[in-house]
Amino acid sequence: MSAPTSPLGRRSRRRTGGIVAAIAAYLITFLILLPILWIVLLSFQSSEKILSNPLDLGSLSLLNYVHTVTSLPLAQMYGNTILLAVVSVTIGTAISFMVSFALTRMIFRRRRVQSGLRFYILAGLAVPVYILLFPVYRLDLALGVFGSYAALIIPYVGVSIPFNTLLLTGFLRDLPTEIEEAAIIDGAGLTRLIWSVVLPVMRPVIATVLIFNVVYVFNEFPFASILINNPDMTTVSLAVSQFQGQYSVDYGGMMAAATLVLLPQLVIYAIFQKQVIAGMTMGAVKG
Amino acid sequence: MVWLSSRWKIAIMAAPALIVFTALIVYPVIYSAGYSLTDFAGFGDPAFVGLKNYIDLGNDPFFWSSLRNTIIILVVSLVILVPGSFGLALLLRRRFPGGGALRALVFAPVIIAPILVGLIWVFILDPKIGLLDRLFGALGLPQPEWIGGNVLTPYSVALVFVWGSVGFAMTIFYAGLQQLPTDILEASSLDGASGWKQLLYITVPLMKESFAIATVLLITNVFKIFELVFVLTNGGPVHRSETLVSYMYFITFNNQQYGSGMALAVIITVLGAVVSLGYLLLLRGRKSA
Repeated sequence: MSAPTSPLGRRSRRRTGGIVAAIAAYLITFLILLPILWIVLLSFQSSEKILSNPLDLGSLSLLNYVHTVTSLPLAQMYGNTILLAVVSVTIGTAISFMVSFALTRMIFRRRRVQSGLRFYILAGLAVPVYILLFPVYRLDLALGVFGSYAALIIPYVGVSIPFNTLLLTGFLRDLPTEIEEAAIIDGAGLTRLIWSVVLPVMRPVIATVLIFNVVYVFNEFPFASILINNPDMTTVSLAVSQFQGQYSVDYGGMMAAATLVLLPQLVIYAIFQKQVIAGMTMGAVKG
Repeated sequence: MVWLSSRWKIAIMAAPALIVFTALIVYPVIYSAGYSLTDFAGFGDPAFVGLKNYIDLGNDPFFWSSLRNTIIILVVSLVILVPGSFGLALLLRRRFPGGGALRALVFAPVIIAPILVGLIWVFILDPKIGLLDRLFGALGLPQPEWIGGNVLTPYSVALVFVWGSVGFAMTIFYAGLQQLPTDILEASSLDGASGWKQLLYITVPLMKESFAIATVLLITNVFKIFELVFVLTNGGPVHRSETLVSYMYFITFNNQQYGSGMALAVIITVLGAVVSLGYLLLLRGRKSA
């Protein structure tokens, strides 16, 4: 039991507590952002300044960016990554939706087969990509796609299936079937049922799936490092992994290049912030 | 629905994902497990050698040091992350101007590519050019080798992992806090429970599930750390800062000892599966509760 406090005293204590908490929250957020601010600052300094006095705000210049924009194939990196993301995420989401629909809505002769197949796919959540790297490399060679975009698209599609199926079957299971039944009675076929009844109500979960997968492909490094051998096909992550070798002691140039990769990501994140956070944490919270 | 569930319709809907999944996830796992029993080195026919690769790994000091590093990273990052991100969620739950923006900013590192996270932190941790040693020097403190030395690297990797994950863990806790029944909290504060007591005896027990989910997801993510080590030290010096995954990558793709690389990959997968199984059991417990 704490000593009784007057309502006024309690309120003012709560208010100062609130101010302390707000200051603490701002301070911690600043500390978390500090590394990002640091590399942005360094990107405006010459390499000599970075070694001697990086905080000298008088010597900031855009010179690093001028060099970097000409030395870094930004358009190509982004073009390749966007191409991989669009194709693999479209295929991955489409086939994951199809199997999720079959596993939750269609009627199997044997119920056991249906739940067994769902469990079979969800078991893939426990497989780390690292055990797949070498076999997929061999598979790409055997299929004759090594060295093409398909070499990466195929594993990206495969890896996305378990998580997509987890989210999509979870959503479909909670979705009431009455509207679909009404549509079937009205004579809708399978294609019409999916396009005009099921997919429209699934928009939020499909947005989540798309965002999660696009972020995955943009950040993916292990597969890209093994399956890309042509510099013209470099992805954003792969290009970043070569910065240290490429720029060596040109620290300013390296930081400008890093900033040019980081900022577009942060801007897109700022625009879709709510959906991105939902997309990245949905699987965790939903289970 | 029966009308639309003819055998061939089900097959058309289910087959593409099942075929791709089987060919790219299931088959490779079996393939890797098979190759882990051979001495395959990239050419010729793989010869069956039984469990030799596993036994060799047991005698390989670098395997044990990378396991030790992985465990150090696991323990250090969990000890900091779980209470830290829970505390941050408690702070950010309070209403104050800009609170929503802070939540979004704290999450920002989560979306940055791990390879870029590593590069950013080179410029914080590097003994020559890093911010941290510059700061320590200005304050007259010793300037240890955060990365590249013999001792501190796994701790530094843990720090970087914490940075990249704090927003993710905080968001899980924040979501959990939003779902707390407000009437219990109100009743307890009417009963005179002070802030700390309420936190310790009511909020934390009610959040058990969020703690479990955050912990298990962080554990599985620690087992996937690769890019950070790749950029910060590339496992060096002489493999001293390697994690299980980065050492597996080295054995397989730099040394081309595919047999022992796959043996290590199998070990990593089994470790991860044990944890994931725990996760599934936990979820099942939650649903029946």
